[in-house]
Amino acid sequence: MNRPHHGTIFLEDACVTALQAFPGHQYLLRLEAPQCAARATPGTFVHLQCAADIPMRRPLSIMNADPATGTIELLFKVVGIGLRALAHTTPGARLSVLGPIGRGFEPDPARPRAVLIGGGVGMPPLRFLATRLATGGAWRPIAFFGSEVPFPFRPARAATALHGIDHRIDASDPLLESLGVPSRLASLATFDGCYRGYVTALAAEWLAALHAAERNDVAIYACGPAAMLQAAAAVARDFGLPAAVCLEEHMACGVGGCAGCVVPVATPDGPAMKRVCVDGPVFDARAVYPEIFAGA
Amino acid sequence: MLLTGCVGFGEEYTRVAGFSNRDAGAIVLKGTTLAPRLGNPVHRVCETPAGMLNAIGLQNPGVDVVVKQILPTLDFTETRFIANACGSTIEEYAEVCRRFDDSPIDAIEINISCPNVKEGGVSFGNYPEVSGRVVAACRRATAKPLIAKLSPNQTDIQANASACIEAGANALAVVNTVMGMAIDVEARRPVLANVQGGLSGPAIRPIAVLKTWQVWQVAKRHGVPIIGQGGIVDARDALEFIIAGATAVGIGTALFYDPLACRKINAGIVEYLDRHRIGQLADLVGSLGTDSSPPQACA
Ligand SMILES: Cc1cc2nc3c(=O)[nH]c(=O)nc-3n(C[C@H](O)[C@H](O)[C@H](O)COP(=O)(O)OP(=O)(O)OC[C@H]3O[C@@H](n4cnc5c(N)ncnc54)[C@H](O)[C@@H]3O)c2cc1C
Ligand SMILES: Cc1cc2nc3c(=O)[nH]c(=O)nc-3n(C[C@H](O)[C@H](O)[C@H](O)COP(=O)(O)O)c2cc1C
Ligand code: FES
Repeated sequence: MNRPHHGTIFLEDACVTALQAFPGHQYLLRLEAPQCAARATPGTFVHLQCAADIPMRRPLSIMNADPATGTIELLFKVVGIGLRALAHTTPGARLSVLGPIGRGFEPDPARPRAVLIGGGVGMPPLRFLATRLATGGAWRPIAFFGSEVPFPFRPARAATALHGIDHRIDASDPLLESLGVPSRLASLATFDGCYRGYVTALAAEWLAALHAAERNDVAIYACGPAAMLQAAAAVARDFGLPAAVCLEEHMACGVGGCAGCVVPVATPDGPAMKRVCVDGPVFDARAVYPEIFAGA
Repeated sequence: MLLTGCVGFGEEYTRVAGFSNRDAGAIVLKGTTLAPRLGNPVHRVCETPAGMLNAIGLQNPGVDVVVKQILPTLDFTETRFIANACGSTIEEYAEVCRRFDDSPIDAIEINISCPNVKEGGVSFGNYPEVSGRVVAACRRATAKPLIAKLSPNQTDIQANASACIEAGANALAVVNTVMGMAIDVEARRPVLANVQGGLSGPAIRPIAVLKTWQVWQVAKRHGVPIIGQGGIVDARDALEFIIAGATAVGIGTALFYDPLACRKINAGIVEYLDRHRIGQLADLVGSLGTDSSPPQACA
């Protein structure tokens, strides 16, 4: 039997090692889940039980995974009963974690300038991607993050200026800054040093200042609310760039069994319904938003 | 057994380390129609108290792809694989069964809860007479064992069970999901794109146990076994169905809670049999006692 996926998702009773609260009902959760940590790649996610009395799992992207310590980090914003209960977990508690799940980002080495566009709780998989790219070879990642609530970190002052971006826009992600990955932050709210507007507009300003030849090195990786992903796809179309988008949909099984989590995708054989959990969650923007790219 | 719609086409759960198809007595593949179907738009699933609603819309690649491309990839030494046949017309049900007849599939379950396009979308399974016609047409199309999957959304499940048995069903699956609906009150819209969906999970268990017990009154006279299902998550739940009259039990939603539930349920049933000194599961089937007739003492 040819079973390439066989045994790639692990069920672990993960121990909570830290829960840190940020403004805007955002939480950073650190878990000991060694098997998941060993296999996680950026864009993959865990399907976890938030509390004993809420048996249906919730999907959350992996923000960081350290195979050495066996820990994973998640970042979530309270939405409803599940994540509200999760916000009440405490260090030492155990949570059932199923992961890592899905096909994550597959960055194209022919395009070393990876432009990461993240909105709200779409930031976690891109922070993970930035971390891995910063430590792996010839990549030159750059990140643009947007949030309408205060960022789930204290923004750092960017060390280096970015061509095409006003020098007063200097708020950056401290984690990425420490890794030497340039980043800038955007918000419609007035936050110190942040671009006032959509994160996709900020990314477009930076792209517009690149030489056409430099753009050949660029690919876009995006995760965030649907409207942001569509805007990111439009930016990719306008600049003639490939784009990968990380999607969300309600899930039941999380392992490909129920077809509950699908997204319509354009394929050479016509429209198809692909499962966000195991066929994604990362998809080619052209396949997911053919109407945006029509005629491009 | 692992129930249809929850385990794709038999291989999906092998992604989970520690899961084995060998842990299940049988696996029922996703509902299959004659032509491919894309299914419903999203949202297709949502959590509800002690359960969930689903309206997948029978997304499947069509019976020919299932028979020619998917079945050859399954390892039939691991467990038994059962097809789930669906249709919009009686002819479609029969044709799906005919195409499975010439395949290694171990049995065919007929999902008689599908909407009947010729009758304005009313479920075939709502009427005993129509259910019987569906089963009879499938019976003529295949020599494989046939399982009629009964719906709880009907007035007289016993009459329906009788009709299916008389039409040639070899076993009955009791029960399918209970129709339900959830509303997003902030948006004042249904949560599911299909508006309504099938409710599964522990929320429906008492309904399913009752239906199993009712169907047992009819089925035992014909020696037709019941596959009990609806909200089973552990061995105790499974035992309720067996005592009510089920010969086998199935889980669907419980896998979403715990992908490795099957092995635990089987172990729990064995432990119960040992503790009660019951030699074989068959002795427990339909052993429900009441005040007027207490349970039989076991050897
Ligand atoms: C692959 C993936 C990665 C995700 N990563 C993150 C992340 O890193 N951080 C984060 O904060 N959120 C993330 N989400 C969204 C998160 O799963 C939902 O916000 C969460 O399920 C809401 O649960 P709730 O009980 O709090 O809300 P409720 O609204 O009470 O949930 C009701 C039901 O709807 C489902 N649901 C509601 N909103 C969503 C949604 N946006 N996506 C999927 N299911 C939903 C829930 O799982 C639950 O079954 C991700 C979603 C997916 C699919
Ligand atoms: C996501 C999902 C999809 C389902 N799809 C089908 C289907 O295609 N055909 C069918 O006969 N039953 C279908 N069912 C019903 C199950 O097979 C089972 O009868 C029901 O869910 C009750 O068992 P449970 O409570 O253990 O899940 C589906 C159930 C779920 C949860
Ligand atoms: S959640 Fe079941 S197939 Fe994706």
